[in-house]
Amino acid sequence: MGEASVVAPDADAGPRHDAVSAVRKIIHCDCDCFYAAIEMRDDPALRGRPLAVGGRAETRGVVATCNYEARAYGVHSAMSSARALRLCPQLILLPPDFERYRAASRQILDIYRDYTALVEPLSLDEAYLDVSGVERCRGSATLMAAEIRGRIYEEVGITASAGIAPNKFIAKVASDWNKPDGQFVVRPEEVDAFVAALPVGKLFGVGKVTAARMSRLGIESCGDLRSWSLADLTHRFGSFGARLYRLCRGIDDRPVAPERPRRSLSVETTYASDLPNVAACVQALTPLIEEFGGRFARLRQPPSINKVFVKIRFDDFSHTTAECSASGPDERLWRNLLDTAVNRKSRGVRLIGVGVRFAEPEPSCDAHQASLFPAEG
Amino acid sequence: MLLLTSTRDALLGPLQSVSGIVEKRHTLPILSNVLLEKQGDMLTLLATDIEIQIKTSATGVGGGEDTAITVGAKKLQDILRALPDSADITLTLEDKRLTVKAGRSRFQLQTLPAADYPRLTPPEDQGVRIRVPQKVFKHQLAQVSYSMAQQDIRYYLNGLLMMVAGNALRMVATDGHRLAFAESQLEGEYDKAEVILPRKTVMELGRQLGDTDEPLEITLAGNQVVFRFGPIELISKLIDGKFPDYERVIPQHHPKQLAFARQPLHAALSRVAILTNDKFRGVRVVLTEGSLKIISTNAEQEEAQEELEIDYQGEGLDIGFNVTYLLDVLNNTSTEEIIVHLNDSNSSALFTLPGNDSFKYVVMPMRI
Repeated sequence: MGEASVVAPDADAGPRHDAVSAVRKIIHCDCDCFYAAIEMRDDPALRGRPLAVGGRAETRGVVATCNYEARAYGVHSAMSSARALRLCPQLILLPPDFERYRAASRQILDIYRDYTALVEPLSLDEAYLDVSGVERCRGSATLMAAEIRGRIYEEVGITASAGIAPNKFIAKVASDWNKPDGQFVVRPEEVDAFVAALPVGKLFGVGKVTAARMSRLGIESCGDLRSWSLADLTHRFGSFGARLYRLCRGIDDRPVAPERPRRSLSVETTYASDLPNVAACVQALTPLIEEFGGRFARLRQPPSINKVFVKIRFDDFSHTTAECSASGPDERLWRNLLDTAVNRKSRGVRLIGVGVRFAEPEPSCDAHQASLFPAEG
Repeated sequence: MLLLTSTRDALLGPLQSVSGIVEKRHTLPILSNVLLEKQGDMLTLLATDIEIQIKTSATGVGGGEDTAITVGAKKLQDILRALPDSADITLTLEDKRLTVKAGRSRFQLQTLPAADYPRLTPPEDQGVRIRVPQKVFKHQLAQVSYSMAQQDIRYYLNGLLMMVAGNALRMVATDGHRLAFAESQLEGEYDKAEVILPRKTVMELGRQLGDTDEPLEITLAGNQVVFRFGPIELISKLIDGKFPDYERVIPQHHPKQLAFARQPLHAALSRVAILTNDKFRGVRVVLTEGSLKIISTNAEQEEAQEELEIDYQGEGLDIGFNVTYLLDVLNNTSTEEIIVHLNDSNSSALFTLPGNDSFKYVVMPMRI
């Protein structure tokens, strides 16, 4: 065991030297308060006033996006609309209009694709671009990012921010650095110092609960995390430990993957304190389903669904999944599945996830196959 | 309490007739059970998934008291299947547990009360009632059912359109890319009626109908349809939806008509299909005077080519198809010859049988 922990770190760090020998240039582009920006673009009277896009307070809706004027009042996305209106009574709350957002999104994607085919959209307004080896702008990713942001402003009429770095993880953190309407570059030689100073909460996969756990262990920054051996991290955090070990050293080899078909969509939450019984779990289900609804609505072309599922992690970290056939999101089915899954063990519940799986697209269903009834799609 | 004694086969056959529709995983536990209802020397077996219900009976079961109980369908079937053919079976009920005994084998199964079992009630006999020989209906189903969609968002395509008009019985199935139509003649005249049968019901009928002249009686009433044949009664809910206008997509005047011997065409397509893959099933069909070439290429730049001599004079055509759709129609017809009607590379292909208007298959092309 002792020997293994000595050997493992080097073995794990291997890909840094061979698999990804050439330094990559990744841009993470992210529009500033996208939905709200589109609304302000289309109705200039909204500019300068606190504005949020989201569900109505009466229907227990949540804020999807809000502009910077609203943020000054403490409003932020994922906050319940009711609370947002309490914080800022003059807040203008608009229902989302995904048709217009999608149209803008298509325009933006077309701009990205002028630079590289390696575009990985994360949502309507956010994407990774791999511009390694691209000759435009004298091969400078910094200049490309500036040009892209300029074109989004000129052609779409909204502002965007960008992060430029040798990998996806750092590019994403960097795009947040000079937001809104700004960009930030992390050069390869700066990666080490940049990551060391990052609070652990900036790591992908570290939410509030994990960050609090790390804080109790005296870990606040990625630099603190580096003093932990791979074996210790794996022991504490399971398979996520290996990812942490690499991320806190600024290593992220994930390629920029242009769209691949989505197999599933889910949302999950880890609770600050374990849920003691089925009744508590059922209560926790409603906000999850709402969040799922938001994510689902944001899919550009939702494929057809063939299953719904509920995932449970118990307080002993074991997990279980209950699923059944379904053709769409269905609150009643999720509730039944939750019941089934929770009853598999009489333990506290630490995490609940709800989601859907998508049907394997039929081989014939590609764009090349003509349809008998084109009007009906 | 003794329920009944029977030979294995007298019980297993009827059980298999009803157990096919039992869903393996269902949110309602009792739906994985089969209902056994004993009355005199008759045992009625019933299973349902709420959309369909199948009922049949076993006769010649001896002894025991009249009662009703539900028990796991799959387990009971697996047990009976695993016992020797000639085994004598005894079923007894004690403390809500069903005991299956045969020789020295003994199984105790959990039961759920019969009163809790959901049942579809057959509609009042007011609707259209049709009688047709089983083999006619079965053959007609086989001519079209493979064209039904599976899990399409257009839920009405996940089924089969059945129509009665005058003395014609018509069936249509389509997945939006290809469509199959078949017609047969009924004895007697009927009022016009059309319904969409769910996919599962169609598959179950295809499995259970016999190749016999014995009658199948179909009753259409409200949102249900009842099929009675032999000892079996199958009640199905119908799909509520508007089936697309199939007549509009069946071409009437495609100018290019090609007659093929079905077997060689099937063989050539099957060989060319080897070099297509699951994701992209496209093949190119190139028609020139006297010849038809079928070509496929794949991502690895491999190529397959077949050439068939045909009796054709006229302008050429280069058109793409999903090879699966072409193989489907050839697999599900049995005539020596098949006629293909073509127009241009953006138009559908129509398949018909020689000297016969009762079958039509339309398939849309692919851009290749």
